[in-house]
Amino acid sequence: MQLFMQQLVNGVVLGATYGLVALGYTMVYGIVQLINFAHGEIFMLGGFGALFTYTVLLPSGTPVVLALILMLLGGMAVSVTAAVIMERFAYRPLRGAPRLAPLITALGVSIFLQELVRNFYPAKSPRPFPQLIPPDYLINLGGGVTINAPKLVTVIAAVVGMVALSTFVRSSRTGRAMQATAQDPDTARLMGIDTDRIIVTAFVLGASLAAVSGLSNGLQFGTVDPRMGALTGVKAFTAAVLGGIGNISGAVLGGFLLGIVEVMATQYAPSPLSGGAWANAWGFVVLILVLVFRPNGLLGERVAARA
Amino acid sequence: MHSSRIVRIGAPLIIVGALALSSCSSKSEGSGGGNKTLTIGVVAPLSGDLSAVGNGIKNGVDLAIKQANAAKTVKGVTLVLDAQDDTAKADVGATVAAKLVAESSVVGVVGPLNSSVAKSVAPVMASANLAIISPSNSGVDLTGRGALATGATQTRPYKSYFRVCATDDIQGPFAADYAVKDLKVKKVAIVHDKKAYGQGLAEAFAKQAAADGATVLKTETINPGDKDFSALVTKLKSESPDFLFYGGEYPEASLITKQMKSAGLNIPLMGGDGVDAADYIKIAGAQANGDYATALGAPTDKLASAAQFLTDYKAQNYKDPADPYGAAAYDSANAIIKALAKAYGEGKTGQALRDEITKEVGDSNFQGATGAISFDQFGDTNNKVLTVYKVTKGAFVPVKTDSFK
Amino acid sequence: MSRDLSPKSLLGVAGAVATAVACFLPWSLYAGFPGKMLNTGFPGGARMYVLLLALAAGAVLLLDPPGRVRGLRAASVWALVISLLTALLIGYAGGGLGNVAAGAWIAVAGSAALTASAYLLDASSDRDRRVWSLPDADWRMPAEIVITLAMAGLALYVFVVGLGIPTSNVASGPDHTFRDAISLNDVTNGSEFLAFLFGIIGLFLVAGRIGLTASLGAITQRRRPALVTGATLAAIAFPFTQDGSPYALRIAASIGVFAAAAVGLNVVVGLAGLLDLGYIAFFGVGAYFAAIYSGSTTSPIHVHLPFFLVIVLGALVAAVFGFVLGAPTLRLRGDYLAIVTLGFGEIFRISVNNLDGQSGPSLTNGPNGISNIPDLGLPGGFSFGDNHHLFGVPLPFQANYFFLEIVLVAAVMVAFLRLSDSRIGRAWVAIREDELAAAATGINTTRLKLLAFGLGATLAGAAGTVDAHVVKVAAPDSFTFIESTLLLAAVILGGMGTVPGALLGASVVYLLPEQLRFLHDLRLLVFGLVLILMMRLRPEGLVPSKRRQREFRERDDKSGALDPPPGAHA
Repeated sequence: MQLFMQQLVNGVVLGATYGLVALGYTMVYGIVQLINFAHGEIFMLGGFGALFTYTVLLPSGTPVVLALILMLLGGMAVSVTAAVIMERFAYRPLRGAPRLAPLITALGVSIFLQELVRNFYPAKSPRPFPQLIPPDYLINLGGGVTINAPKLVTVIAAVVGMVALSTFVRSSRTGRAMQATAQDPDTARLMGIDTDRIIVTAFVLGASLAAVSGLSNGLQFGTVDPRMGALTGVKAFTAAVLGGIGNISGAVLGGFLLGIVEVMATQYAPSPLSGGAWANAWGFVVLILVLVFRPNGLLGERVAARA
Repeated sequence: MHSSRIVRIGAPLIIVGALALSSCSSKSEGSGGGNKTLTIGVVAPLSGDLSAVGNGIKNGVDLAIKQANAAKTVKGVTLVLDAQDDTAKADVGATVAAKLVAESSVVGVVGPLNSSVAKSVAPVMASANLAIISPSNSGVDLTGRGALATGATQTRPYKSYFRVCATDDIQGPFAADYAVKDLKVKKVAIVHDKKAYGQGLAEAFAKQAAADGATVLKTETINPGDKDFSALVTKLKSESPDFLFYGGEYPEASLITKQMKSAGLNIPLMGGDGVDAADYIKIAGAQANGDYATALGAPTDKLASAAQFLTDYKAQNYKDPADPYGAAAYDSANAIIKALAKAYGEGKTGQALRDEITKEVGDSNFQGATGAISFDQFGDTNNKVLTVYKVTKGAFVPVKTDSFK
Repeated sequence: MSRDLSPKSLLGVAGAVATAVACFLPWSLYAGFPGKMLNTGFPGGARMYVLLLALAAGAVLLLDPPGRVRGLRAASVWALVISLLTALLIGYAGGGLGNVAAGAWIAVAGSAALTASAYLLDASSDRDRRVWSLPDADWRMPAEIVITLAMAGLALYVFVVGLGIPTSNVASGPDHTFRDAISLNDVTNGSEFLAFLFGIIGLFLVAGRIGLTASLGAITQRRRPALVTGATLAAIAFPFTQDGSPYALRIAASIGVFAAAAVGLNVVVGLAGLLDLGYIAFFGVGAYFAAIYSGSTTSPIHVHLPFFLVIVLGALVAAVFGFVLGAPTLRLRGDYLAIVTLGFGEIFRISVNNLDGQSGPSLTNGPNGISNIPDLGLPGGFSFGDNHHLFGVPLPFQANYFFLEIVLVAAVMVAFLRLSDSRIGRAWVAIREDELAAAATGINTTRLKLLAFGLGATLAGAAGTVDAHVVKVAAPDSFTFIESTLLLAAVILGGMGTVPGALLGASVVYLLPEQLRFLHDLRLLVFGLVLILMMRLRPEGLVPSKRRQREFRERDDKSGALDPPPGAHA
């Protein structure tokens, strides 16, 4: 039982990162029906932005809390800038183009950003990330089940991010405009909503959350690398679909579910289909099963098929 | 409006050109003297995840060529490098291999990094009897060693393929003997990354460790590229091993050891030459202390040629480090250069030159940066000296050097 | 046709003449620069492309076709980019601008004058493009056939030239590096290819802007038998170019496999409109099937089936996978289907990586892959692994596989064309455009979608079986998510739903990274950039289907100036 609970905690932690990144996919998809494959790279840029802030901009001896806040802001600045540029120059000109054209653009942006960081980020590989929150500080959750401090931060960030985002979308003026744009962009425009601005806002919000995740990922593992976004991106997209793409709570729920499935598969899947080498396959099997029974994901609404 | 976009594409290139012009004013014309130009090829991943390792191989060859040209090792010949990017994929490897074979000036090839790529490269090389020496392929099949485990006779599959590195079936058992006999570990956990190198090494280790009398737990696998290994660590912790052998490369190994020790499972991690990299310690930090790695050859400080190589490598200011296979690539290139010097001295050209070089490489016998370089009749190195390193105070320190029997 | 003899135009004419003349003068005093820049007389290397662009610019200026100024802009800007870049690189490689000969400077000045003239002229005075056609005379049909055959020859010529340009080891300047990633030597080595690339882009844009592309397209469409004949002849002629280089044949064979798979994917994506992100898995099923049952020593199953049977069975097994995956999932909405196919692709890769007797049943030899796949043979002792003579010309063994590829591509193309012209094909297009409406007209959408999925998988499986024999290895690394997306890129870049589009897209997606090798570490960076730019410049693909093109034009008429007007082919 202790083992099971510990693995459950591990799964929730793993899922928290997926969930935070999935929020960005879900926001953008909900509004412009675009699978932004480059969103994983925005997450990666957040991690690198935070690292750059720490190693280059901050004087040594900055108090930890201040350093963390500044790193977060630095990471967000990089992520948001990249997302806005990407939206403006790669995606916006393609609105109204054949549906699949932006998909290839997204692929191009993804390759470009990865290679840009790999070739031009000043520090050589690997890039050790400062462990400002000590990973060997274990918090006992009872019954011998533990979680270390950076992991706890990751989980808290995911939950706070989800709650803040859904409150924003539900209650704020901009948020309601976003809902309107998602439901019917043409009508929204007729109602005086600046849909271009709303779309940029969706990219900005998604990028900010990705930056939070990039920072917490760096703190948790003590390293960042240009490829981290590609792997996490696919998982996060999976999580978003699992939860019902376009649905904010669904994205985080999907993330947790995917994380738990992968961890449990590592521990409990029947041999020889156990172990890390099969874990991702189990994640996708669960995805396919969920979609067969709930074609719009766990929390997705049954909307009439768009043409 | 469209054209301004075009200018935007062209502009960076023009700026590059302008920058270079402003920075260089004089240049010596190099290709005088009526020298014949011959080429040594490199097949390695030069872009993507493994590019740092691939570039280390390329640089090792580049250094050997520069030294040979400076010392005029091959009379009347200027050597040049033709490095081809295999992107660590078998099909791309076959393509660039065909490219090198088609280029008549290519007299030998160093590479590739991955055994899986070698399996598509080696047949193409063999079809033209063009010598290829790998600094890193550890898969047993490439020289037919796989047959040995089943008691069958070893036959050489690719007649022009050589390698200067230890195979899995040597490195794994060597590490296992050290762990079980010297460190006296009792209960060993085995983890690998389910890639050809990691799995081959881990299986060879597990077999020997069991034969030596240790309890070997069921092999665990990870997914390369992952960062969160807490599920694995929790599972291992519940089985309470006293030693972990990891088959794979340093990026994952460093994270595993760190997460394992943070979670309170304080056992040493041991890996092969894929873990023997300075970056392992950089990522894992203090938690790397007490871990082990094996590597081919005697430690660098005991080998003058190795220390000289590192000094020379540093002097070239390459972007990527020589670790882990730069020295072996340097030796591979030198084996080709020495063979070329002999064959070319005999006045051979064309296919006869390639044939003769392949033959001469097989007869290599010299002291390289990784130790004595010579090959058996199957293309494997005769150098069976291996060293165990232990991470002590943030550095790999040799603890045992021995010849594997 | 009124001749425009304003000073602005005359400046352009002078620029074009100066540029063209300069191309016959030496550009370099330094011998090591690629492209034979030393000689006087008929140009080679970069000078060739500048000359072509200058001639195109002059012709456009004087003949006054529709889209005159915009066409002139394309020609002049690219001529300027190539000549300036080449001049600067010669200066760099030779060790100072003193090595740049007068010819290069005249070309730079001439193309600068041309560019100035192009931008001084008013583009809004351009007449709309229209499709030209030959006068309705007795010689019209033979002339059109000759033109069509010439187009096939031109395509072969461009392909051969592009592939044949060396991009490594030509120049050896000082080792300056630009931010560690690339040295200027590399750019120098690649300069001839860059000139080629920019030249082709420039000429392509000019042809598009003055309506030449649309006109030629209309002619080749009318003369389909001639087009097929020309394409076949060009394909057969290819091994005799390049001195029968094994490398060129190997690349061409790989492009063939890639193109066959892209045409197959075009059934799924282009015709039926189903987004498949795991298509490479079906290709992998075929490849692994061939690898396992072709007598490889590393295969755990020691059965050696004849090649013909392997193709058929491999394709069938892939089809079964397609139907099994498709049946439960095809009722999903577009992007949900995309993630399911992505997941399936990953499950396939993970499975073949694990089925080695250690972490699964022994079937695929795990991460080592199945290697040593023996060469194919034909009855009568013909081995694909031997070098043969054809028409007295020695050809390397790669040529055998190249011809096999041609047969494969032809078969897949025929299958695609038959399908797209059939009742089923029209039903697919109806589903793609509006599934609800299609269902309302009585089309059984689920069954037809499943059929598209299954047939696409079949074609991929067949291509995979051939690929295993060409590469001689089937390993898990070859079937990753990125391969699926590159196939998709080939289809979309080329133009969805058309065969020439898929062929062209496959060539670009495969060949461009190959010839950009001189960029080393920056290769993929530039490739990513090219994908973004190409989708921005031609969102409907290089060879869009007529229908789709019309649709897209209606929506966005402003940027349509780049392309033939609506109804160009009518």
